[in-house]
Amino acid sequence: MALSPAQRKSVYLTIPAYDEGQVIRETLQPLLAAGYSVVVVDDGSSDDTYAQLAGLGLHRLRHPFNLGQGAALQTAVSYALGQGADYIVHFDADGQHDAAGIDDLLAPLLAGDADVVLGSRFLREADWLAVPRERRILLKLAVVVNGLLTGLWLSDAHNGARAFTREAASKIMLRENGFAHATEITQQIRQQRLRYIEHPTRIRYTDYSQFKGQKASNAVNILIDLLIRRFIR
Amino acid sequence: MTAIQIILFLALGLAALIYMRNLRPRLVGRVAFFVVLAAGLVMVARPDWANAVAHFFGVGRGADLVTYLGLSGSALLWLATYSRQRELEEKLTELSRQLAILEAEKPNSAKK
Repeated sequence: MALSPAQRKSVYLTIPAYDEGQVIRETLQPLLAAGYSVVVVDDGSSDDTYAQLAGLGLHRLRHPFNLGQGAALQTAVSYALGQGADYIVHFDADGQHDAAGIDDLLAPLLAGDADVVLGSRFLREADWLAVPRERRILLKLAVVVNGLLTGLWLSDAHNGARAFTREAASKIMLRENGFAHATEITQQIRQQRLRYIEHPTRIRYTDYSQFKGQKASNAVNILIDLLIRRFIR
Repeated sequence: MTAIQIILFLALGLAALIYMRNLRPRLVGRVAFFVVLAAGLVMVARPDWANAVAHFFGVGRGADLVTYLGLSGSALLWLATYSRQRELEEKLTELSRQLAILEAEKPNSAKK
């Protein structure tokens, strides 16, 4: 299914970017060519990410200093809602998501079958076979932690591709600045009783995305963030 | 008066001075500070009183009681500080967010 150009304009892709100068233009070009509205928040990068965004025909925002992926994502979403977006799609800056899959991600929202669509790389065999083995184990552990903490059992808890209706996106407010926002989103989907479905997505694992992506050791940080969050305030 | 008493009195006096000069917390903080300070002065001046209080609470020595209270107090302070820091971070994030949104560059706006 393909969306009309007018529909695509009303879809805002919200993209947090931190030190992605090397790949950001490459990631964005197919998105802009497809006619989506694109919001990029440069999260206080130390490289030339912000300059790379110039003249591309997108919404360009910048945090004065690095605040974290969750914070940048929330800034992008708040801004997009202010611009009158009908649909919000979370998208990663490192080029690991497939631009051609965005319309499919949105289909259940347009059909009125769900408020939120969550990407999952564990619904199709070909997708999860593409995931490096160690990563697969880590992701499945994340699914268990996420399920225990939120009561929502997803097949893929840390997939960056998500689509929201305007109403759903405005009900979610991320306070977790770091990488724990994936669990926070799940939590709020449950609290706000949003209708969600999972949709298969393909993730491209390049050397770059592997290098830039979350390290296994970071899983410990996320876990501690989540536990502290759960018990303090 | 023993040497250690003089050192401890000076340390407490210095803490009080720094506190009054540099930190202006809320009333609860001030009251708590002066209660702890007074307790400290008494314990330094009359170690035998500290022992008596310790016995009352079922602790062998005054020094042990001070250690236990000190550790629990530090833990509470740490948590309060953490919570306060979290709050500040959230405010800072919100401020940065509003600034970023205010200064956002739209697709059709002129390049700077």
